[in-house]
Amino acid sequence: MADIDIEQKLRQEARGLLEQGKVDRILGYEAGSLKFTTTPLVTADKDDTERLVVNPFVVNNLSAFLTGMEGKTGIVAKGCDSRSIVSLMQDRKVARENLVILGIPCPGLIDVRKVEVLLGKERDELEDISREGDKVTVTAAGKKTELPLAKVLFDNCLACDMPTPEEYDVLLGEPQSPVADPAASRAGIEELEAMSPEQRWEFWKGEFSRCTRCYACRNACPACFCQRCFVEETDPQWVLPVPRWQDNLIFQLIRTIHVAGRCTDCGNCERACPAHIPLRSLSKKMYDMVDELFHYRAGMDRNPEPLLTAYEASEAED
Amino acid sequence: MAGNKKIGRKDLVKLLEKWSQGFTVFAPSRENGEVLMREWDGKDSGFLEWYRNSTQPPKDVVLPPMEKMFAFHKEKDGYRIEEPPPQQQQRRRLLFGIRPCDARALTIVDLPFKEGYEDPYYLARRQGTLLVGLSCTRPYDSCFCTSVGGGPSDASGVDVLLTGTGDGYLAEAATPAGGELLDSAGLEDASPADEAGAAEAKKAALAGITRKIDSEGLKDRLLSCFEDREFWEKAAAKCLSCGVCTFFCPTCYCFDINDEMVGEQGARFKSWDSCAFSVYTQMPVENPRLEKWRRVRQKVCHKFEFYPMNFGVMGCVGCGRCIRLCPVNWDITRVLESLPPAAES
Repeated sequence: MADIDIEQKLRQEARGLLEQGKVDRILGYEAGSLKFTTTPLVTADKDDTERLVVNPFVVNNLSAFLTGMEGKTGIVAKGCDSRSIVSLMQDRKVARENLVILGIPCPGLIDVRKVEVLLGKERDELEDISREGDKVTVTAAGKKTELPLAKVLFDNCLACDMPTPEEYDVLLGEPQSPVADPAASRAGIEELEAMSPEQRWEFWKGEFSRCTRCYACRNACPACFCQRCFVEETDPQWVLPVPRWQDNLIFQLIRTIHVAGRCTDCGNCERACPAHIPLRSLSKKMYDMVDELFHYRAGMDRNPEPLLTAYEASEAED
Repeated sequence: MAGNKKIGRKDLVKLLEKWSQGFTVFAPSRENGEVLMREWDGKDSGFLEWYRNSTQPPKDVVLPPMEKMFAFHKEKDGYRIEEPPPQQQQRRRLLFGIRPCDARALTIVDLPFKEGYEDPYYLARRQGTLLVGLSCTRPYDSCFCTSVGGGPSDASGVDVLLTGTGDGYLAEAATPAGGELLDSAGLEDASPADEAGAAEAKKAALAGITRKIDSEGLKDRLLSCFEDREFWEKAAAKCLSCGVCTFFCPTCYCFDINDEMVGEQGARFKSWDSCAFSVYTQMPVENPRLEKWRRVRQKVCHKFEFYPMNFGVMGCVGCGRCIRLCPVNWDITRVLESLPPAAES
């Protein structure tokens, strides 16, 4: 089913949910104000559902808005988003009965920055980006360039564990099996793994020197649901709220550990970072370690206890 | 002030070298996909090929994300402040390539730091900095400078404005300091053809600003919808409450002050703060802006209502960074457009 058909079906479903009073609001995507962007649509108005879109730029993980929302929400969820929802349910941050999940199978999201680099042009200089099968056609200055989809998908999409949501009320469209390239997805991490500890330290020192502590990574992360983040504690003050690289690094390392077993590798943190710090190199590394040590991938299954609240005697202790 | 000068494209590096003798020259630099104003590498002017604007506004040159105000240590009977760091910077700075919007933004940031209260840390840096601006040639689709009193070749914030003429730049002095800088550079006078080329470029850039808002009466519209909770809740619904739009805003200047003690030794730091954070207004027993809509309202009203009331100018220059960089595409121009009309007074 093409995006446009899924979009039509989604609009009908969403309108129906509001009309029948089954939800208090719809949480989905509408066209952004800039080319090749979308923006969250949070609405209780049934007529607004005509603005809902589904396209390769629906990058936000909307489940980050669920914590703290009252009443019932009809939420549009890709596979990775549905995993975050499941994880929030396991942590009892969201009650399933308060959600109507409008699942959309996802063939991977297009990373416009990769397109920019490959074309040597900036987003607003591109005229069109269209996806068909495993090819993407980009038009710039009237010229069409065909790119393999695998070259322009977000790194996390290339190792997606759940393209089609498994937790949903309505599934719009057929299940997807997107282009996968696990090696490319981990390339940045492997480069870091190959470094000496001193080189890695220097690398992160450089990266976190650019961090301004805007907390976009934290606020965009559905797993970062603490009502009061440790960085905001003043007694004791764990880290200074001053953007010194050491404090920035400590903030991010603690954040990464705090979301271990909750992070679904949705990539929202890295996409949100205005300084382009490769945050997924930390979170995906953690994700893989959790998988290796505990055979646990967050949000894949709603039944087990959340990783960090359960303990088995056979678990590694080191 | 003498007439306009001409800088040949190939003479630019020589000029930057010359200026480097008297100033620490800052120029656009690309690091890991981010464009920053950094000390010029002394090599070339290759940045002119790709430079549109910096990711981080150049305000960080005068208002750094963090600075140590002074050190102190604990003594038997209290704390003793050690010598504060030198307030007068050792070398003057020259920002080459600052865009007209960002230069104008500094004149807006100047107001709270020098009217009524004088911030020695800010003013020492600001007064020792010359701005050699570069007219825009390729504005972004998010730029809306012309709607908020600026323009792609507005010279109101710079000391010198350079505008491309094809084979070089027309250099116009906008302040006496800019005039001196040009006079001492030994440049050729601009020809009528240079003037015409620059005028053409300015016209083209102006046409390139496609995002427009009606800023007429914004202050009054905001004043009358201040209590319209429904409007603000809707406007705030998708905001993540992160600091991107404020930290990357060339006119946002809020800061926080924190002390750090390690044993007997302490230091006081000043660092950027953001009204988007709920802790920004955290008081011992209450928080007047705990709810997100109140923070979003504050941000919008500060720029378009309170700033005009206090200083007679909007706290926005239309650089569009908040739109380009927002993780959820929360677009200030859309919010301003959706404001209800002002109530009849």
